[in-house]
Amino acid sequence: MGNHYVIVGGSAAGMAAAHTLRKKDKAGIITVLSDEKSPPYFRPMIPYIINGKKKASHITLSGNGMFTEQGIDVRTDTAVSALDTAPKTVTTKSGEAIPYDRLLFATGSRPYMPETIKGLDTKGVFSLKTLADAMAMARRLQDTNHVVMLGGGILNLKAAFAMLEKGIRVTLVVYSPEVLSQLMEPEDAFLIRKALDNAGLEIMTRCSATDVVTDAGGVCAVALSNGKELPCQMVCVGKGVIPNTDFIQKSNIKINKGILVDKHTACNVKDTFAAGDVAVTHDPVTGEKVTTALWTNAVEMGICAGLNMAGIKTRYTGTFGIMNATQVAAEPFVSMGVVHTRNKDVEVYIEKSGHTFRKIVFNKKGTRLIGAVFIGDITNAGMYRYVIREKKPIDRFKSHLISHTLHYGHFM
Amino acid sequence: MPDYKEIFVKTDICTGCNTCKLACAVEHSKTKNLFEAMFETPKPKSRLYVEWVPENTRIPVLCRHCEDAPCINACISGAITRSDQGTVVTDTDKCIGCWTCVMVCPYGVIGRDKALHKAYRCDRCPDLEVPACVASCPTKALVYESVDTFSADRRKAVSKELVTGKGV
Ligand SMILES: Cc1cc2nc3c(=O)[nH]c(=O)nc-3n(C[C@H](O)[C@H](O)[C@H](O)COP(=O)(O)OP(=O)(O)OC[C@H]3O[C@@H](n4cnc5c(N)ncnc54)[C@H](O)[C@@H]3O)c2cc1C
Repeated sequence: MGNHYVIVGGSAAGMAAAHTLRKKDKAGIITVLSDEKSPPYFRPMIPYIINGKKKASHITLSGNGMFTEQGIDVRTDTAVSALDTAPKTVTTKSGEAIPYDRLLFATGSRPYMPETIKGLDTKGVFSLKTLADAMAMARRLQDTNHVVMLGGGILNLKAAFAMLEKGIRVTLVVYSPEVLSQLMEPEDAFLIRKALDNAGLEIMTRCSATDVVTDAGGVCAVALSNGKELPCQMVCVGKGVIPNTDFIQKSNIKINKGILVDKHTACNVKDTFAAGDVAVTHDPVTGEKVTTALWTNAVEMGICAGLNMAGIKTRYTGTFGIMNATQVAAEPFVSMGVVHTRNKDVEVYIEKSGHTFRKIVFNKKGTRLIGAVFIGDITNAGMYRYVIREKKPIDRFKSHLISHTLHYGHFM
Repeated sequence: MPDYKEIFVKTDICTGCNTCKLACAVEHSKTKNLFEAMFETPKPKSRLYVEWVPENTRIPVLCRHCEDAPCINACISGAITRSDQGTVVTDTDKCIGCWTCVMVCPYGVIGRDKALHKAYRCDRCPDLEVPACVASCPTKALVYESVDTFSADRRKAVSKELVTGKGV
């Protein structure tokens, strides 16, 4: 009999590993254990479930992208609650012990719910993470005319737009001086802020929530640090994510916020691996250890883990802590690598117009590209990513990097 | 490795005349006719780009339909898949215009259709025997060749060419 590969978590990292294993090892048995009720789906697509633009059946993983293999046993509604690395078994919540030959932790992350805000367990308070969350939000929206969103990150912005498109009033309460503070400096976000304002999103910065106010129907208002109270029927918390390591905590697997892995995605205990949001990886630009919340990283790291689990030694090249592309309102933007430059000893070029913003960041000596932000015009962003990631010598085309005229010919 | 045909560029022969670009745009227009295509809205778009390499070289760049395509792995909506013909295809119904593919493509060959809010790229003209760009090239700098066992080496040479700039 072949190897039994057990994967905990059936999302980007877990399923990328499963499909990679299936490609490389036709004989092995692959079991994916997922605590979600729905079969694996493209998580970043769930905002479209909130506003009804997509149905659950439109966003399933199986058969799309790299997820095209057959013969993977995905067991939904199966939460793992215990781990024993000797003998090698995981135990499900219902008490079933499942032995493994090689194990992958792909348990991802969950929304961080700040303790400083009271009443977050009230009906009508959400945090968008799963398909089930999105469907519950869609239901609640039927009796909602005002939503208050706590946090100005990309996830909340996506959810906010899904609801704005339905004609619902949305207020974004942001503790930072500007939205998207994780992805750019406040003053760099002005075009995005303008687009959000134009789209009708109400934004309150430098402000936080203290209490969720309730009545018989659940949430009815949010009390703010500035003394104001915003009447609303729904609250959405988007304050970042934390890795899911609960059942691993008591084991001998090394954890520091996320699960620590070596350059081959392996944990400190033999035959165990980790990938995706739950794993600690490294940023090739800064060399720092990072946990990420990126689909792109989860898939790539999952593929790498799958290869290593199949016995094909493969080094994970790491990922930028920041590597986001999206479009908010009418503004496309890309943010990657080192983009927070205040008080940093780096060389920065900024070019702004009424419609575009561009920030190009080089190291102190100006010899290496380390970060870039594009708003409005994101042409060839992938080539910048390539230059950053491969640490390419830039002397031959530095001026083109700065003036945004770089093209493939410059690499030749 | 199945026997797909691919578009190769002979960099030493290309004169940068842009005929391929025009042919590509016309083939991807509604009318597929040069004179009518010029008046279409939105304006038909070429899916290949002719870039200038210092000092006197011009080269067409287009989707390589990479064997290990970063765009397929990165797409957050599952819109990008590998077709039976070996091409990397964006399903426009599924594409949500998040531009993650643009962010990860090291060749810079994925375009943004702003009117449709969809990504687009070379599709190797699935309805034609020979892709429009190749058929139109007056100097035969573009070739459409099968990747047989022999050209496994050539494929390597081509990817090396893309990295180092040495001709095939
Ligand atoms: C609304 C939204 C939009 C997003 N947009 C983008 C985007 O545009 N670009 C981008 O790069 N990223 C985006 N992300 C982030 C991206 O979805 C995540 O980084 C990615 O899903 C991480 O994949 P993962 O497999 O590591 O973990 P997760 O997707 O978190 O999946 C882990 C799975 O494991 C399950 N699990 C956890 N513990 C257990 C257990 N004990 N037993 C069984 N199962 C368990 C979880 O329920 C979950 O199903 C978005 C996320 C959201 C929520």
